[in-house]
Amino acid sequence: MTLKRSPLDGQHRALGATMVEFGGWEMPIAYPTGTIEEHLACRNRAVMFDVSHLGTVRVESADAFDTLQATLTNDLGKVGPGRAQYTHLLDANDASVVDDIIVWWHADGVFDVMPNASNTTGVRSAIGGTDTTSSRAVIAVQGPDAKALVSTVFAAAGAVGRFRVESCDWHGAPCTVAGTGYTGEAGIEIAVPADAAASLWSALLDAGVPPAGLGARDTLRLEAALPLHGHELGAGITSLQAGLGWVIAWDKPSFVGRDAALAERERGVSRRLMGIATEGRRPARAGCAVSIDGVAVGEVTSGNFSPVLGHGIALAFLPPQTAIGADVVVDVRGKPLPGVVVETPFVRH
Amino acid sequence: MNIPSELRYSTDHEWVRVDGDIVTIGITEYAQDALGDVVFVEMPEPGAAVAVGATFSEVESTKSVSDIYAPVTGSISAVNDALDSQPELLNSDPYGEGWICRITMTDPSELDALMDAEAYRALTEGSS
Repeated sequence: MTLKRSPLDGQHRALGATMVEFGGWEMPIAYPTGTIEEHLACRNRAVMFDVSHLGTVRVESADAFDTLQATLTNDLGKVGPGRAQYTHLLDANDASVVDDIIVWWHADGVFDVMPNASNTTGVRSAIGGTDTTSSRAVIAVQGPDAKALVSTVFAAAGAVGRFRVESCDWHGAPCTVAGTGYTGEAGIEIAVPADAAASLWSALLDAGVPPAGLGARDTLRLEAALPLHGHELGAGITSLQAGLGWVIAWDKPSFVGRDAALAERERGVSRRLMGIATEGRRPARAGCAVSIDGVAVGEVTSGNFSPVLGHGIALAFLPPQTAIGADVVVDVRGKPLPGVVVETPFVRH
Repeated sequence: MNIPSELRYSTDHEWVRVDGDIVTIGITEYAQDALGDVVFVEMPEPGAAVAVGATFSEVESTKSVSDIYAPVTGSISAVNDALDSQPELLNSDPYGEGWICRITMTDPSELDALMDAEAYRALTEGSS
């Protein structure tokens, strides 16, 4: 299979990025600065990520609202045009999370639904619409100084508020800017027409926003305890198990998977996603078994070294009654790694 | 790509500096670049016996874990304790401050199986 390339592919290579396969795309995992420095730059100041591999499905019709409202878990009625909402698409039979999605609501009857890279086709079959992914790049600028730095070159974009969605003009190129992200920091995501992406990227670089790769995006989202589809969400994993019950609007009359989700809520979850702080720098990894009092009770879904905390952190499915403060042992390829169950997010901003 | 001419190299992208019957080992610039930011190095126990080709250490980066294989048979005579708190030395100075350990060899003829710099450069350029 030929890997897809971002409209910013040439920029990444010119910057010396290490490129990897991700969800059918060839994307930068890190620049010569390295993942940890890129991570800390996002926490302390600002960085930008190319997230063009995220899907965009344009749903535009008179009944678009009704279709999305009857399909996805969250209640679009709580927001409105010009707003973004995080939501889930569930499996009708077992309420597994088929995808976690951000919906950008542009205007009456006009929505951009943004699935994960590898789920775009599945989401389109559920909600219809047009796959417009290849027509644009998406640049996420994240960090405490992100909006101020963006404002120096693209004032309209820098002014977009948290979970707001606005149309902004980049030197004649119509962009969509949303106050969303995946790092636990303030920031915006800019969907820019493919042929204008390089000029925006260069302007942001010149404004003092360094690039960061998908490696840093992953360690940042893990510190913020944000789920990654295929790890914390996916086949066999429900919203409730992942601690994301708030994404389900229980009082909505219908959405796909409602009966199965209600049944699980009724009987109680069999496991729950929790945070573990591990001792020392050695990272636990996805698939590592977790024991309490010598009994294997769960499994790590994501683990890594936390650049901010200076020790390992992991998300794991554990018995729902597991208490904060419980001592655990993670089996890292046969070596016991002690840890303790902690509140998430691991790093709060 | 920096490949010092005075060192010998393994196909596992480790380098070896020979000094009498003691060898110092580490990972190459190519290896550290492929691993990405190193966050943890599991150190062997000083005095431990190691057999050529056996794994005796692990290097963890933000993206993956990599085994370190003994390039020669012998015993661990020294370890680089600085890596406990500064594993990033493997990235910043792989042939210097980022050395991993020293091994006292029992069979120096095992060194013949390692590559010189020229052969190692050909290996990395062939696989890149």
